[in-house]
Amino acid sequence: MRALVLLLALLLAACGPAEDDRTTLTIQRFFGACEAEYGAVTDIAAAQGECGIMTAIINRFEAENPDIRVVENIVFWPGYDQLTAQLASNDAPDLVTMHGSVISDYQARGLIEPMDADLAKIGIAPAGMTEAARAAITIDGRVWGLPIDTWAPLWHINMNLFRKAGLVRGGRPVLPSSPAELIAQAEQFEARTGKPYFVQGAANEYAGFTRNFYTFLMQQNGEPFADPRRADFTTPEAAEALRLFKDIYDRDLTTKNQDYSAAVAGFLKGDGGVFLVGTWMVGDFQAASEAEEGALSGGYAVVPYPQLYARDVTFADGHNWVMPADPDRTAAEHEAALRFLAFFSRHAFDWSRTGHLPVYKAMIDSPRWRALPHRDALAGLATSAAPLPKGVRRQFPIETIVGQESAAAISGAKPIPTALADMERRVNDILKNL
Amino acid sequence: MRSQNRVAIALVVIAGVLMLVPMLWVLALSLKSNAALMVDTNSVFDGVFTLENYAAILGDGQVFRWIGNSLIVSLGMTAGVLALSSLAGYGFARLEFPGRNILFVIVLLGLAVPEQAVIIARHQLFSWAGWHNTYPALIIPGLAAPFGVFLMTQYFRAIPKELDEAAMLDSASRFTVFWKVLLPLTIPAQATLGIFTFLSAWNDYWWPLISATNKQMFTLTVGIASTQMNFAQTEGLGFLMAQAVFAGAPILIVYLFFQKYIVQAVAGAAGR
Repeated sequence: MRALVLLLALLLAACGPAEDDRTTLTIQRFFGACEAEYGAVTDIAAAQGECGIMTAIINRFEAENPDIRVVENIVFWPGYDQLTAQLASNDAPDLVTMHGSVISDYQARGLIEPMDADLAKIGIAPAGMTEAARAAITIDGRVWGLPIDTWAPLWHINMNLFRKAGLVRGGRPVLPSSPAELIAQAEQFEARTGKPYFVQGAANEYAGFTRNFYTFLMQQNGEPFADPRRADFTTPEAAEALRLFKDIYDRDLTTKNQDYSAAVAGFLKGDGGVFLVGTWMVGDFQAASEAEEGALSGGYAVVPYPQLYARDVTFADGHNWVMPADPDRTAAEHEAALRFLAFFSRHAFDWSRTGHLPVYKAMIDSPRWRALPHRDALAGLATSAAPLPKGVRRQFPIETIVGQESAAAISGAKPIPTALADMERRVNDILKNL
Repeated sequence: MRSQNRVAIALVVIAGVLMLVPMLWVLALSLKSNAALMVDTNSVFDGVFTLENYAAILGDGQVFRWIGNSLIVSLGMTAGVLALSSLAGYGFARLEFPGRNILFVIVLLGLAVPEQAVIIARHQLFSWAGWHNTYPALIIPGLAAPFGVFLMTQYFRAIPKELDEAAMLDSASRFTVFWKVLLPLTIPAQATLGIFTFLSAWNDYWWPLISATNKQMFTLTVGIASTQMNFAQTEGLGFLMAQAVFAGAPILIVYLFFQKYIVQAVAGAAGR
């Protein structure tokens, strides 16, 4: 019996963790897990999709840096509850993915590290980044992260239906250049195809409303946050942005009562001509256009939001790497984090295959990136994509409020002036308590 | 009378079908490819099924660790709640001590305090103790179970005191009376409390989400949620449904094994 116990003890000891003198780098990210498919993949070029490419990049980094052990903490999107809890318990990861619109919330409380010197050390110059990418990480002249990408809402177009509607010229979609043209083209589309011009995810979904509202407000040179501490939505420009989409809704020029999933499926099945959704769907729709069957087969195009008003601009956000503040982080861990950021930056092209806009101007100008499907058409976002002013905090909850009140106005549940007044009051209730 | 029975049976069957259909729908979706579901969920009826979503779940090397964590936490919490609630229930039902009624009311007030109201203080407390990302942090908060104390107190009160007195006449100590005479009589209540505690611990999401931030310590609910990509409901619907089936299966098994006990206990509790 004693021998058996001894044997068991020896076996247990043998099963224990081996000595590991590598530096541990804890990377916390969203984009999901796909270990079954990509857990062992180090060929980044062979990976597809956000999860696949991110996993392959991290695998490759670990393979090329045997002195670093990467602990990859994958969190449920967007993961900010966990991050906040980790910061509260002094257990922050070394690097974490963060939306540009959220950075100011953490920066204002001293919860993330400035990275000017770090980026300079690894040879990354913010001057080489697009305006939107640089804006995402810059607060009061200092840099607080490394941009991963910029995303923006786009017009995904069913070219087969556009052809039927007579809205294709020279192989390109005919796009409106004013609100009146938009309505006219949408009515022409509806008359010739019998389908609504727009497909929108509008049920139980507010993000789309917010992106449309911000984009067309900014196109009129509207400044809802001239003072980052106070929202100003009771303006003629804001009313016009809502009026345009209410007009579209009232004229039945858009799908109605579809949630996000139904809208994606609807567009794939040919429910309408233009799907208003972000950069992340480019790959899926391109794949559908390459299939032999389906409504998009041989007929898909994607472009930035057309300029309907004075300024060519599209509301944008993006993903970034930030380094949470941690007084216990060792120099070796810090160094490992910088090596990863440099590695990720070298593989920015691989990430750009996700459909998101690259953060480096040189890459957007490169033939390699332009050769990817539809990227030529999207290159203009390098100058037209714009986030909200960096000083605006609590942008996530504010986006929800803006979307809710926009939806109420567009559906007719509230008069536009009432919805804008409510939007302004609710947002300012948040901002005044900061 | 017979026609009344038929109506009752028909109503039960209809209710059963209504409850079963969503579960069958989830199961069917879990057996479809994500790509097919993204285009049309009605593709469920085309007869082409796959196990790729389950393979993706099982292909994640962490998933069995997360199941293990959930088992440890759920069983630990269940054992702790049963022990503490039984002792407290016996005390409140049988012992005379100053402030007993006030203390009992204070315990019951715990039923009125939602977890959200104490979560920040609790998080800070465990943070101060350096216990986050440990099993005690996941188990201990659940041990404060006012419902369990109330349930066990009521059960002990319903047992005739003559049993205690008879045992004491035979020189049994108070603990012997509790352990050998009264506790066996509360097994239906223990079963009810145990099942409810286990289910609650297994399904808990919020506290493990913010306390277990290291993936090695994720419970199954947090772990499988972490594997979801953004827009999972669109681009990964089959995977999402497979996760729901996978996470719910252990609970279903527990229910099947303890079904008799649960029904008896609930019926017994209602009778009392």
